[in-house]
Amino acid sequence: MIDDKEIKDTKIDDEDVINHQWTTKLRRKAVGELPPQKLLPDSQPAYVSSWIYVFGVLTLSALGVVAISGGILAFFGPSWWQQSPEGHFINSLHLWSVELFFFFMVVHLWGKFFMAAWRGKRALTWITGAVAFLVSIGAAFTGYLSQQNFDSQWISTQGKDAMNSIGIGAFFNLMNFGQMFMWHILLLPLLVVIIVGVHILGVRVKGVVPPIGTFEDKQDYAKPWSGKVRPYDIIKEGVIALIVVSLLSVTLSVVFSSPNKAPLTIQRWAKADPVDFVTTAATELAGTSFSGSYGPPYNNGTGALQSIGPISLQKIAGVRIPINSAQDFVLQPLSTIPNNPTLKDALITYESATPSLQNTWNSSFAKADTKLAVIGNSISVPKGNYGPIPILMKNLLTMANTGGLDSDLENSHQFYGTDYTKPLLFMADGSYMATLAQQDHLTGDQWGMMNETDKWPGQPWLWLYTMWYQIPPMSTSSNADALVMSIMVLLTLGFASIPFIPGVRSIPEKIGLYKLIWRDFYKDQNASK
Amino acid sequence: MLGVNVFSLIVGALINLSGPGSYIKWGFIQMSVANLILILLMLVVLALAMVIPFPHRPGGKK
Repeated sequence: MIDDKEIKDTKIDDEDVINHQWTTKLRRKAVGELPPQKLLPDSQPAYVSSWIYVFGVLTLSALGVVAISGGILAFFGPSWWQQSPEGHFINSLHLWSVELFFFFMVVHLWGKFFMAAWRGKRALTWITGAVAFLVSIGAAFTGYLSQQNFDSQWISTQGKDAMNSIGIGAFFNLMNFGQMFMWHILLLPLLVVIIVGVHILGVRVKGVVPPIGTFEDKQDYAKPWSGKVRPYDIIKEGVIALIVVSLLSVTLSVVFSSPNKAPLTIQRWAKADPVDFVTTAATELAGTSFSGSYGPPYNNGTGALQSIGPISLQKIAGVRIPINSAQDFVLQPLSTIPNNPTLKDALITYESATPSLQNTWNSSFAKADTKLAVIGNSISVPKGNYGPIPILMKNLLTMANTGGLDSDLENSHQFYGTDYTKPLLFMADGSYMATLAQQDHLTGDQWGMMNETDKWPGQPWLWLYTMWYQIPPMSTSSNADALVMSIMVLLTLGFASIPFIPGVRSIPEKIGLYKLIWRDFYKDQNASK
Repeated sequence: MLGVNVFSLIVGALINLSGPGSYIKWGFIQMSVANLILILLMLVVLALAMVIPFPHRPGGKK
């Protein structure tokens, strides 16, 4: 028998335990900070009275359209958006909603800067907004890499140097489509959604910052607004914004579509410019190509090794994606060709020769490359001491012309393949790919990272990053990528820290555009006096 | 099949942006006209957002 006293004691004990549970504490904290009337308000301060305020919800709506169109693309897969008109249309929808997302976010950001929206203990809201902007740039960049067109190929081969220069090239390998695609559809969107979520909760908890000059005591800006309010239907506003952004995205997609310049293949390169292909392949065999002498993460060369002062993060990260240009781009693919005794003998001769003899052959062939001619699959060079190199080059050219080299380098002898590091490095070593990029204004000295092929808008939000490459000492430095990345890291920290930087945080008050934004409030305030 | 064909026609670009783009060069600055239009549009939209009167005037209750 349990008596009443025992039940009462047990109840008291339970209550005590419940009060100290993590779950109870978290629920009380969450409900205390975010009561339903804050999460879904039906009124808001009367000073929230300017069109500038709608760009936050427009940005969120654009993010919604990006997520929906991206979800459809993921559902049907890469072949669908490449090969069917419906898929291409959804691809266009995705691209234009991304353009709108950045468009609205930049206007939102400018507006919040001019309002000094970090006042009243709202610095975290500014920081999460700034971080959301920067992570979104990364998410969009991986999207451009995942398009699987010429633009993707080119920016991956150019952007890799920046990643390698700070030692992250192997973990964020722009030429590995599978890796970039996963970053694009899972890791970065997840990060964007989490950061944007924290940003929105920050706005809901702290409220919209009151106009500059409302209070004499700065602490008052952090207190809940006790002045005039007006009705506010947050759900209605969200639905209208989503409809407007959806209609805009569909209209832009129907009117302008999206770019889809065919990707370059080794086969196309070899057919279009066989001399460039053979001379590039010869440098791969000699180990003197850009890739062959690159350095980490591909090999121990020093051709593209960068440092910031005495520190080389690239060197510290080490060789993570081993590339031996002679073996990977020439000898190994040739060894897969069956029933060719002449080639087999040539391979044995080359591989059994001393490094010194290989060097002599390679140097002689390199000197003759200006007189090199290709007719069909035949290579013509002046007489010289080239050893078996002409036979190797002739067979590699034949392999490239049939498409065999593309498939060999793409799949690395596996059935499935999503890593294009090797074929992209090989093609980027030649001059044909750069010529095509030059025609589309994609090269570094043309501010190419911002541009899209043909007449489509690209990524204008990368203007600052691209600009540093045009300015001395970066424009002439062999450490340009490492320097630019360091500058961007510093600027990023500065951008997120604006609320704490004296002078910079006062700029909005000095510019005075806030008077225009809150003119109705100030007018009303003066009338009340 | 008819549906697919009609859809293909609808989704075809009404304004063809294929073909060589135009670029402006101002000192060391280079930019595609498409990107420039986008940036100018942002500035225009920002200016309009600040200038155009908002329908809800301040007031209401305390």
